[in-house]
Amino acid sequence: MTVANHLLSDADVARFIVNGYHLVKLDFEDGLNERVGARLDELTENPGDAVTETVPELWQVLEHPALEGALVSLLGPGYTLNSHRHWHCKKPGTAYMHWHQDGANRRDVRIDSFLGLYYPRRVTSDMGPTVIVPGTQFRNAPTDRMATYFNIRGQLAMVVEAGTMALVHSALWHGTAPNTSKAKRHMVKFGFRRSRENTEPTWNHDPAALDNALDWNRRGEAEDVENILAFSNPLNVAQTDHYKERAIRRQCWDRMMGAAA
Amino acid sequence: MENPNPAPGSENPPSAAPRQRLLYLHGRTPNVFSDVIAMTLIEPVRGYASEISAEEQDWPYATVHDAVVDGWQIVQFPHQQAPIDDRHLDVVGYEFILQKMEVIP
Repeated sequence: MTVANHLLSDADVARFIVNGYHLVKLDFEDGLNERVGARLDELTENPGDAVTETVPELWQVLEHPALEGALVSLLGPGYTLNSHRHWHCKKPGTAYMHWHQDGANRRDVRIDSFLGLYYPRRVTSDMGPTVIVPGTQFRNAPTDRMATYFNIRGQLAMVVEAGTMALVHSALWHGTAPNTSKAKRHMVKFGFRRSRENTEPTWNHDPAALDNALDWNRRGEAEDVENILAFSNPLNVAQTDHYKERAIRRQCWDRMMGAAA
Repeated sequence: MENPNPAPGSENPPSAAPRQRLLYLHGRTPNVFSDVIAMTLIEPVRGYASEISAEEQDWPYATVHDAVVDGWQIVQFPHQQAPIDDRHLDVVGYEFILQKMEVIP
């Protein structure tokens, strides 16, 4: 299967703009995910950026066509991999981690960079999964201002199958639940970046996908770009925030379609 | 509402004096009848800890008004967020802080 077979659809891209995340399942015939998990189990110190040298199988993960297809779709064919990457091992008995954003707090309508969170092993709810808050990526909310929030309606635990890569907007609110299990929960974090503005859609775009009129009777079941961008409300925010979200999503979509070029 | 998350081995100072239980509720709007979209309970118990959960949330109150009916008092109302013509988004919802003064056994 080539990258072209794995490009995202218009609806996938619209949902990423709305929710700030997209999950990619990376299957390998030779048990590579399991081998990565075993190699990480054996580490006695954190290699930091050198985790790809310490566990070279990770390069195969990064070259999986399903991942490349999603990255080309969201960042364009010239996307780059950041030199910074990090192994996060959440050991048994580890406490939760509070909500935060990675990087500077800067609301931006562009999708120019995001995180790739790779889970080589199945993650269950008691293993201290990453927890994200879909739809928070466009908020100007410094991490300190999240301090009084604990559980938020709509938060989503990354309870995932082995070999899942979660592509997560850098500004998306995220934290972890505590690890109350007896197993280590591994995650390797990568960063991906756009290298040039889109001049046209870089995903599996169908111009007819934009033809649907707004359907006020099926607001919660939108399957097409126009209705997803207009009606999705993952946090159930009120009218003012929702209208702002719509405007930001539209700017983001137009830019990805090549409007800025 | 009972403390769902007592810290193991925590001991309260022996006292018959009421202590302040805190409840942070974030509403969709500043209206006490609007839906709650975030909730945090802080018990006045040494070692008490809130945490982010990976499990489905089952909250006792759907609105701030529900909590008031159950005896919670609002000690801080939310400040208004950005002006209505502003194009930016900031934090999620509107923060109410509530208290109950109770003797903790």
